[in-house]
Amino acid sequence: PEETVTSSFASFIHGVQPKQLSKAVCHRSKRMILDSIGVGLVGSRTHVFNIALQYCRELYSSAAVSSVYGKPGVKLSPTLAAFTNGVATHSMDFDDTWHPATHPSGAVLPALLAASQMLPPSTKPNGLDFLLAFNVGLEVQGRLMHFSSEAHNIPKRFHPPSVVGTMGSAAATAKLLSLSTAQCTHALGIAASFAGAPMANAATQAKPLHMGNATRLGFEAALLAARGMEANPSILDSIPGCSGFSAFYSAYEPKPLAVPSDHHEFLLEKQDIAFKRFPAHLGMHWVVDAALSVRNLFINYAGSFSSSLIRTVVLKVPVSKYINRPSPSSEHEARHSFQFNACTALLDGEVNLSSFTENSIHRQELRELLDKVVVEHPEDNVANFDKMYGEVALLLHSGDVLTGKCDTFYGHWRNPLSRESLLKKFRSNASYVLSDEKIEAIIATVDNLENLSDSSQL
Amino acid sequence: VHSMDFDDTWHPATHPSGAVLPAVIALSEAFSQKKRISGLDLLLAFNVGIEVQGRLLHFSSEARNIPKRFHPPTVVGTMGSAAACAKLLALDQLKCKNALAVAASYAGAPLANAATQTKPLHVGNAAKHGLEAACLASLGVQGNRQILDMESGMGAFYSDYSPQSLPTLQSYPWLLDQQDVAIKRFPAHLGTHWVADAAASVRRKLVEHGSNLLPLDKIEKVVVKVPEVRYVNRPAPASEHEARHSFQFVACSALLDGGMSVASFAVENIHRAALRELLRKTRLEHPADNEPSFENLYCEVSVTLRDGCAFSGRCDTFYGHWRKPLRKEDLERKFQSNASQVLSAEAVEGIIETVYNLENVQDCSVLSAFLSGQSARALSEKLHL
Repeated sequence: PEETVTSSFASFIHGVQPKQLSKAVCHRSKRMILDSIGVGLVGSRTHVFNIALQYCRELYSSAAVSSVYGKPGVKLSPTLAAFTNGVATHSMDFDDTWHPATHPSGAVLPALLAASQMLPPSTKPNGLDFLLAFNVGLEVQGRLMHFSSEAHNIPKRFHPPSVVGTMGSAAATAKLLSLSTAQCTHALGIAASFAGAPMANAATQAKPLHMGNATRLGFEAALLAARGMEANPSILDSIPGCSGFSAFYSAYEPKPLAVPSDHHEFLLEKQDIAFKRFPAHLGMHWVVDAALSVRNLFINYAGSFSSSLIRTVVLKVPVSKYINRPSPSSEHEARHSFQFNACTALLDGEVNLSSFTENSIHRQELRELLDKVVVEHPEDNVANFDKMYGEVALLLHSGDVLTGKCDTFYGHWRNPLSRESLLKKFRSNASYVLSDEKIEAIIATVDNLENLSDSSQL
Repeated sequence: VHSMDFDDTWHPATHPSGAVLPAVIALSEAFSQKKRISGLDLLLAFNVGIEVQGRLLHFSSEARNIPKRFHPPTVVGTMGSAAACAKLLALDQLKCKNALAVAASYAGAPLANAATQTKPLHVGNAAKHGLEAACLASLGVQGNRQILDMESGMGAFYSDYSPQSLPTLQSYPWLLDQQDVAIKRFPAHLGTHWVADAAASVRRKLVEHGSNLLPLDKIEKVVVKVPEVRYVNRPAPASEHEARHSFQFVACSALLDGGMSVASFAVENIHRAALRELLRKTRLEHPADNEPSFENLYCEVSVTLRDGCAFSGRCDTFYGHWRKPLRKEDLERKFQSNASQVLSAEAVEGIIETVYNLENVQDCSVLSAFLSGQSARALSEKLHL
């Protein structure tokens, strides 16, 4: 049978071995796992998480074996646990981002955690199997995004985690469950029918559902495939007159994955992840760093920060409608507002979890500063996480102009978080729901993941 | 409902009922302890679900033709289910908006899974996810309140999208009033229904020549003229799902048997030698004037014999299409034939009576009771007809 793109993916998922994971890939993916768990833990304190959990608990759960972030003692059926944890992970927009753009870990980790608890003791996957499955989930997402040039820029139509995330989850769980090549093919095919949510729900409370569903439905696709469900075996290929996975893109050019030889090069090796320092859309991180740098200049100039000296704040950012909000009224909108994040950074000298509380969002001094903001879209500022920049200029009443610019924020893949910074973020997040002991235990477990004998301990 | 591709089809194209009915029935059962849902409530919620689907389909010219990218039930069906459930749950206006917004994030599955075993999941998920969206909205989840207005909202599923506000509620013009559905007589893609009627008509001419059997070895070739619909063009289907999506299969099957039925798709019948032989002699043609739209398409089947004689039959409107709807007896016969596979005769008749009188049924949980196989005697107290 001739090699189709779809069958090459299935062969990869089925055939790739732990020894093919390079050191760099192991290292980077473990950082992602730690960050994702931390973000999921702190996310378990959000309103949207509570609704998702309440909804899932009301659904009859005949096999309640899988745990939920931040709720010791609560168990749900595996796919619902994956859903709830996926929602937690993305609830504050605090999770990792890749290039081309998606949030890869939240779509894969919850499903794997839930699945590992589902398997009987005799067949529990070890830490290395787990790490491999996780990387399969990432790799599939990355490869799919390379099939369309649309994917390189900040999205406009479908929210990428809902498109490639679902596929990644299906691939990762298919790997963990050791499905046959044919079953892997069908898992991908079924997952495509569960993929795809429009961008318009970004910046609303519904956006975290995208992640929850990506990880849950991809998992479901693998479970269905394991029970013999079949789909179109060429789902990833170009089928003229009848769209498969290509339905989610206007230009789509798939390519087969190389058969795993001794040296499969994982995309994560070539392209690292960005971790967020505060819970808001990735684009905000550039303007915040730019705002912080101009704030320093201001303090040198005037002794302390005072908005009354400012006439206008000019933001130079790329064009992207869903993150351009002059006056956000909810936490979800605030996390997707260049203006809000710049002003918060100017006023407070930092942006953190509490910047997005109701009180912080509606405070008077912030609203006053927001009124002074003007947004510009320079032509050279491309809506692309690899190329964009953020510039904040303060036009003072005195006539002076102070400018700060950021090309690469701290946490971006070009300037990755140090181990200390990453651990600091994890400890801070996890401390909302876990004891210090447990926090350190998780750090140690993830650090040593390859040597863990039973990954369901995680 | 969609497992055999036997469910209703509308214009613009989707399978409206399968995305809505399962959700409202399930929801009405879930209520039965807490409050009574009447037949009229159910009927209204059902129609809300259908109407929303129809209105959404009118927002894009793409929707008028047989689809190529997303399978319509997964796009509008999910929205219809959310709307119907929101109605049954009596959600306030804001929560209805949020139900729709959340539902949009579950919508959309690519067409490539049609003609596979996964396609029925599309309708199952539409119903289930619409219900889930309504439940989440009722618990307070909020989405984009302009989900139907935005290009990056519902517009994500279409290349051209022009939404319009619904007419006011004063003497509301239901789409179902102006445009009926098509009901299938056999379980296969709607496009094949034209083919079946055309093939049956040419067969009548062929067998006049001799006995009641098709003169197979005398046939040189079979040409089937249909619009270009890639996912129903299968010269040699290997599974029941593929056979249900094959113009060629239905043409040959109907030629051999004189008509199509549920049994035409049984494994033995799909693989019988006579059929395979006839399939080898069959090809499709796509005349330029044959539009891929359920409103306008036609089918012509012509059979050429070895002696040069050619016979053809044409179908513009198959029996069951909205222009030529099934008579009451035939609709009932279809129902009885289907339902009797799993329900007792009592339950079958009970459901027919209940549905015909739905507006007057006080407690629609009788419907679910019949469906779960309870005896009519135990239910006669519940039936305040």
